[in-house]
Amino acid sequence: MNIQDNYLKNKKNIFFSENKDIQTHRNKLINIFENDRFDKKNNESLKNINLKNFIDFKYKYLIPEETSVIKNNHENSYSIVSVNGQCSSFKDDKIEITKILDEDYNDFSKNDTIENNDHFVNLNSLFLNCGFKIVIKKNNNIKIKISNIITDDDLTIFQKNNYICEEGSSLNLIEEYENKNNSTSNILNVIKLERNSQLNHFLIQDNSPNHNLIITSHSSCKKDSTFTQKVYNFSEGYVRNFHYSELIEANSEADLQGIFFLKDNNTSNNKTFVKHLAEDCKSNQVYKGILNDRSKATYFSNTHVDQVAQKTEGYQLSKGILLSDNASYFSKPELKIYADDVKCSHGSTIGPIDENAIFYLRSRGMSKIAATKILISSFINEELNSIDNEQMSEMIQNKLVRYLSKVK
Amino acid sequence: MNSETLNTLDSLSKNKYKYGFVTDIDADKPKKGLNEDIIKFISSKKNEPKWMLDWRLKAYSKWKKMKEPGWANLKFPKIDYQDIYYYSAPKGFDKKPKDLSEVDPKLIETYNKLGIPLEEQKVLAGVAVDVVFDSVSVATTYKGELEKLGIIFCSIGEAIQNHPDLIKKYLGSVIPPGDHSFSALNSAVFTDGSFVYIPEGVKCPMELSTYFRINAENTGQFERTLIIADKGSYVSYLEGCTAPKRDDNQLHAANVELIALEGAEIKYSTVQNWYPGDEEGKGGIYNFVTKRGLCAGKNSKISWTQVETGSAITWKYPSCILKGDNSIGEFYSVAITNNFQQADTGTKMTHIGKNTKSKIISKGISLGKSQNTYRGEVSFLRKADKARNYTQCDSLLVGNKCGAHTVPYIDSKNNTAVIEHEASTSKINEDQLYYCRQRGLSHEEAVSLIVNGFCKQVLQELPMEFAVEAQKLVSISLEGSVG
Repeated sequence: MNIQDNYLKNKKNIFFSENKDIQTHRNKLINIFENDRFDKKNNESLKNINLKNFIDFKYKYLIPEETSVIKNNHENSYSIVSVNGQCSSFKDDKIEITKILDEDYNDFSKNDTIENNDHFVNLNSLFLNCGFKIVIKKNNNIKIKISNIITDDDLTIFQKNNYICEEGSSLNLIEEYENKNNSTSNILNVIKLERNSQLNHFLIQDNSPNHNLIITSHSSCKKDSTFTQKVYNFSEGYVRNFHYSELIEANSEADLQGIFFLKDNNTSNNKTFVKHLAEDCKSNQVYKGILNDRSKATYFSNTHVDQVAQKTEGYQLSKGILLSDNASYFSKPELKIYADDVKCSHGSTIGPIDENAIFYLRSRGMSKIAATKILISSFINEELNSIDNEQMSEMIQNKLVRYLSKVK
Repeated sequence: MNSETLNTLDSLSKNKYKYGFVTDIDADKPKKGLNEDIIKFISSKKNEPKWMLDWRLKAYSKWKKMKEPGWANLKFPKIDYQDIYYYSAPKGFDKKPKDLSEVDPKLIETYNKLGIPLEEQKVLAGVAVDVVFDSVSVATTYKGELEKLGIIFCSIGEAIQNHPDLIKKYLGSVIPPGDHSFSALNSAVFTDGSFVYIPEGVKCPMELSTYFRINAENTGQFERTLIIADKGSYVSYLEGCTAPKRDDNQLHAANVELIALEGAEIKYSTVQNWYPGDEEGKGGIYNFVTKRGLCAGKNSKISWTQVETGSAITWKYPSCILKGDNSIGEFYSVAITNNFQQADTGTKMTHIGKNTKSKIISKGISLGKSQNTYRGEVSFLRKADKARNYTQCDSLLVGNKCGAHTVPYIDSKNNTAVIEHEASTSKINEDQLYYCRQRGLSHEEAVSLIVNGFCKQVLQELPMEFAVEAQKLVSISLEGSVG
């Protein structure tokens, strides 16, 4: 079924289909789909992807029977269970949770950082069927844990979440994606950091083989704000992590990190993009991957420094370890620099585990497998040690042990 | 930034093109435009056999169906292929001169202005020069000596006549005519270029060299170079380019194919300083060049060295296909862009064989309002066991209106292959400048010294004859008078 028919057929289930402005924007998107030749070679969003599954899909969405639970555990700490991408409204003096509104959609549709040929973002905008908005009020320090649950098989979730950190606020956000059904979630997070605010965003992804997860995020940072994102991908199904960050006012920082562990026939596509639009900003992009069996991964990183963004520091690092003959890793670390007083660099390595290191450990009496496991753990040790939440650290350690047990 | 720095930058970016002059020679050329008749005309002018004409026409039919590749970070008006002369030969060249005294004195004068005194250079540098002046070989020197060793060094036109077997076997084997639209265009209309064949076990005793030169206005130059190094042989080839000043953009779409058989080594060096356009970005050469080398045999090696300072647009990716086991590919590049120049250059290393190694060193320097992009691809295929790559690309920005971009593509499908890539972008270090100034160097000298140091890793790879010219060029591109 083509995109337009699919859309028209399910229009009544889709958010904002009555709004005229949004309809015009969506017509444009439909046009893009109809005129695109799906050039896999030059379109980053299509690399390693089975188009048929994603573009030519069967739409199915159920409004959950049980509403989500929002608990105020103790002071400043909340836990939310979002069911099928929905979350009930909640309000106190620190946070406010509502449904997303038409204006949030329009606000985002004007943004041009994400390329208009990123078909997954376009699909998200077209078939939007759930999502919520969380506002952290001024000068509050909050912890939120969100568990994303999907109730049925074969659902297609198109979710858009808005996070707004008001001036001086600080948010520790942990999101868990652990699903065991055959659904596809396409999630777009739009994050706004006001002046002097801070957001630490952790994403833990651990889905079963037939669950597809597509996460795109777009953050914009105002003066003195800091955005840190850490992605831990243990999924056995397809995961796409595309994260864009804009530093729009001076002295803001973006730190996008990720590690992924792939095995079997799994594929993961990753991208980070930082746009420096103001002076004195810093950015850091670090992705590390371990690939076993016949798995495939891509990582695109991009630092864009605008002409006005003097005194920029932008660093990128990409590291990949291939454990098997049939794994493949593609990386494209890009720098686009239009200002002269900058310090920017990128590094990228792909290779096997260092033979000398293995030899050293084996000469100390360790078996080859044990040596390999130790070296894999040490490869990502830095990332794991930087987690200051004990509970989360333990959870990730357990997942790592589970992954390592399959390594031969 | 202080006012002195600004003044220096100003003087740097307003540098005049020293080689801009037009030699007034009547050119023998057919009508503008590209069609089958033109291709037949070119082919008959060159007395080509029928199989060659068929080959050209096949390429032309492919070109008609193709679009220009669009990946590069370049902005330029659409090229009107029907507004270009596809063949131009200085008059009276149907009969070739036997030695230099028969050559048009104006032509000799042109080279003298460029600082390439043919006669002198022959003796002094021991270089055999195969000069191409608007598509026809003018003089091929040192031929006799090379013949003794069995080396064939002639224009591709001659090779088609005299060595059809080699041409049939190798032409288009590394760059198929249907690879992309510029290679198809070149295959259809190429007029001249060099052909080199080094027989088994021969080490070529001298550096072979060609000076290309675009002269007649609106003539796209479509050079075709083919170098074959047979088993165990060695050759070093130099290519240098300077073109006169013009207002219209001229198109240049050359194809260079290198083939290294078992144990052979080819070193290909280029210094390119074609007219880059004036301070407003008017005019200049459009340089769309396809260069590709095939390490066909075991233990073979291909090394590309380039210094790119000219052309309004440079679109050039000298690549290596490392097919033979233990073969080595190298790429050293300095690209300097000034005013409104745009360069999108880099390399492609495709590792197919076991134990293949490649090394990429790229230095980009942007001044004025120019854009300089490194775009490279390193890929390890499934069977490239123990393959190794090291890539380093550094960019230097001088002034805040220019841009420096790095776009590497890295693809590994083999778990024993190791790849390392690093890149950095920065401006000229203030501390280094301060140190140099303190030791009594002027601001210009200091900048020149630092930039030359920045490029040294690449410049030292150039053969002696070129190294001097290249260093001069780097300085000229930067600062006019101070050397």
